[in-house]
This record gives sequence, C-alpha cells and structure tokens, in this order.
Amino acid sequence: MKLYVYCLAEGVPKLRETPPGVSDAPVRIVEFEDLSAVVSVCRSDAFQITRKNALAHHEVVRSFTQQATPLPARFGTLVTIEQLRNYVSTHRQAIKAKLAQVHGGLEMNVRMIQTIAGTGSSQSSGNEPMMGPGTAFLLEKRREIFREQGGAAQKEQLSAWLREKLGDLIKEEKISLVPSETIILAKADHLIAREDVHEYRTKMAQAVEERPEVRFMVSGPWPPYSFANIELEFSRPFGVS
Amino acid sequence: MSDFDEILVGEEWENTDLSLLETLDHVLNRGLVIAGEITISVADIDLIFLRLNVMVSSVETAQEVLRKRELAE
Repeated sequence: MKLYVYCLAEGVPKLRETPPGVSDAPVRIVEFEDLSAVVSVCRSDAFQITRKNALAHHEVVRSFTQQATPLPARFGTLVTIEQLRNYVSTHRQAIKAKLAQVHGGLEMNVRMIQTIAGTGSSQSSGNEPMMGPGTAFLLEKRREIFREQGGAAQKEQLSAWLREKLGDLIKEEKISLVPSETIILAKADHLIAREDVHEYRTKMAQAVEERPEVRFMVSGPWPPYSFANIELEFSRPFGVS
Repeated sequence: MSDFDEILVGEEWENTDLSLLETLDHVLNRGLVIAGEITISVADIDLIFLRLNVMVSSVETAQEVLRKRELAE
C-alpha cells in the first residue's frame, strides 16, 4: 500500500470537505506531530499519468488551500508511509521554515513575451572567414556569455519594474527568462498575502497598460507551487551521489 | 465564499486551454519533491519513472492541447 501525497501543512488536524483525489480516491490527513500530510491511500501501485489525475491533484491542493496555505507536492508523488515519515522527520525544520514563509500567502504568475527588434548583432553573420573548430567554439562561447550577461541585466530590470509597480505586495519573487534570439519570454512568480489578490490584479492591470509592446498573461491565485521547494532538494540529481 | 473561491484559477482567461496548460505546468513542474521518482505498475511489474518522464508527459499533453487549438482556429 502506498500513499499519494498532495501537500504538507502545519497545525491542520482535520480536513474540511475535499474533492475526490487521484483515481477518485478519498482524501485524508496523516499527522506527524504538528505537521500534516494530505494523502490518498493507493491500494495498488497502479497510478495513471493522465490529465484527469493531474487536475484532481490540483483540485485537492486548491481546495485545501482555502483551509490553510500548504506546501503543494508535485504531481505523481507516491510513497510508503515509512518514506513519508522519514522525509518529514529528516526535513522537519526546513518544512516548517517553508511553511512559515508561505503562511497566509498565495501565488500569482505573470508571463511576458516581447519581440526583440534588430536581433542580428549577436548572431553569426554566416560570412565569417573559414575558421577552425576551436575558433568556432570560442566564438559561440563568447555569444553565450553575452546572452547570459544580457539575461541577468534584463532580469534585474524586470524585477525592479515589477517592484515599482507592485511595491510591498510582493512577499517573495522568482523571475526567470527563457533566452532566445528573437523574443524574450519572462516569467515572474510572486508570493503575496491572500488578502492582497484584488490589489495585485488591479496594479498589474495598470502596469500592463504602460507596456503595450509586451504581451502579458497574469494568472492566479494559485497554491504556492513555485515556493514549495526546499533548497536541500536536488543537491544530488535524482538521489544519485 | 472566500476570496480564493471568488477568483477561480485562470478564470479571466478566455481560452480555457491556456488555463489548463498553466495548471499542468504548476502540478507537473513545480511543487515539493518528496520522492525523486514515481512508480507505475503495468501487469504487476513496477516500472520506475524519473521526474524527467513526467516532464516529457507534460510537454506531450501541452502539445496535444496546442494542436487542438490550432485545429479549432
């Protein structure tokens, strides 16, 4: 028997009404002292990666978030009770610190797409004289460094702009850029207080008006999926030393 | 009704496919990683799928949604 894990929380001994979980399984709470895990019992190891189950996972987490802000688990987390107990025991302090960080918060996301004008400068012209593989490699590395430096500067600019527009609403922020020669795709994830959702959306709507050259998509509120990870994770890829 | 109830995830988006993609992005690519793998049984044989496979699955799902959108337009 395994447990399918939806999220972790603190000080929530009982569930309110919750939608059915993955594979329509009932959802319940398992307590580990003051920490709780929202789980379903998986009677066999069979688990389907389907859209329906992914959405069921989200609906359970979303429903629970109305009760308390949890640390959502990633879709597909199947563990034995011993594995879950060990995980909570080993990461207890980190989990509590993360829960304190997201307490009373929700996640909002902003996606921005901007087309870059005049993109030829950093690209190969195709007219370079014949060069050896070493020179070509170094030239490509140089372009890569320029792109990285440009990306870091753009991230800082974007962060400063969003902070100017949203001010103290942002409790925590994660910004990432997807580099491309022709467009800038930027993603900003914000942790905000749940009572600030309306103000956040109002201020973002005003900010969007100021940047007609950029396409924006604002979504949320979400459970704090983007702020749930504990820094200790992935210190070893897939647990391999 | 709470504030969270009132503002359904992605409700302001006219295109529900985009909302679905955002939801899948959250549940598949973010969140707490308690175990580095998920286990799927086929014919009573446990198969181990690493996280990477889950992400591949999400991309496939996303592509399917995008294909449907293109056909609808």
